[in-house]
Amino acid sequence: MVKYVIGATGALLGALAGAWLMLAPFALAYQSSGADWADPTFVDFWTGLPLLVVSVVGVILYVSGLVEELRRRGIMRRPYAEPAGQPQAQGEPSAAADSGSENNMEQVLLPLVTAMLKDMQERDRGRDETHRETPNNVQKARSAGEEGSVRS
Amino acid sequence: MAPQARGGLIVSVVGFFAGIWLFLAPFLVEYQKVGQDWIDATKNDLWTGGALMAISALTLLFFAAFALGDAARAAEQKNTADLEES
Repeated sequence: MVKYVIGATGALLGALAGAWLMLAPFALAYQSSGADWADPTFVDFWTGLPLLVVSVVGVILYVSGLVEELRRRGIMRRPYAEPAGQPQAQGEPSAAADSGSENNMEQVLLPLVTAMLKDMQERDRGRDETHRETPNNVQKARSAGEEGSVRS
Repeated sequence: MAPQARGGLIVSVVGFFAGIWLFLAPFLVEYQKVGQDWIDATKNDLWTGGALMAISALTLLFFAAFALGDAARAAEQKNTADLEES
């Protein structure tokens, strides 16, 4: 992370040097305004301008590298990142691929889950029927009925 | 290495060569005669070129040093993770 800060500082100083080179002939008065440009002015100006442009590009690159690094470490959040739990926007390739694989998985699992549910329901139904037909239960039900009649 | 870092390094190298050019330009373009007193333009170009070379060289040096440090730390962490897994 520090490397990007150092790089951006170096590139910024380079940009300042480029700007100085463009201004120096007039600031130091070895180029009088209005007169034809002398050789030193040509050299300084046409060195300073590309240097300024290249250094500004360098500053942008180093700063974008720094931002990327900060995002990778989780210090900065991506502005377009959606919070967890929300569905992703439609049309994105990864989202489409994810939803497609989910649908496939559902199609594969659906018959299995349906069969399991049916099986469980049948088993529950059978258990209920055997539970009702047990003599102990019948006796209990009768005694409960008698108690109810005594109380009333 | 990240593409941004690569681009930034290229910019620093370009800055270094611009410094060399500025340092030599007064004599190559011949607006400074050898043996005569230096004119203002020559002094400006030498000082600016020298500063630019120093800035670019230091940027490259420190960038390389910190990049190597990061790489060494990452390799150490990977080794530790591999040892924990095995």
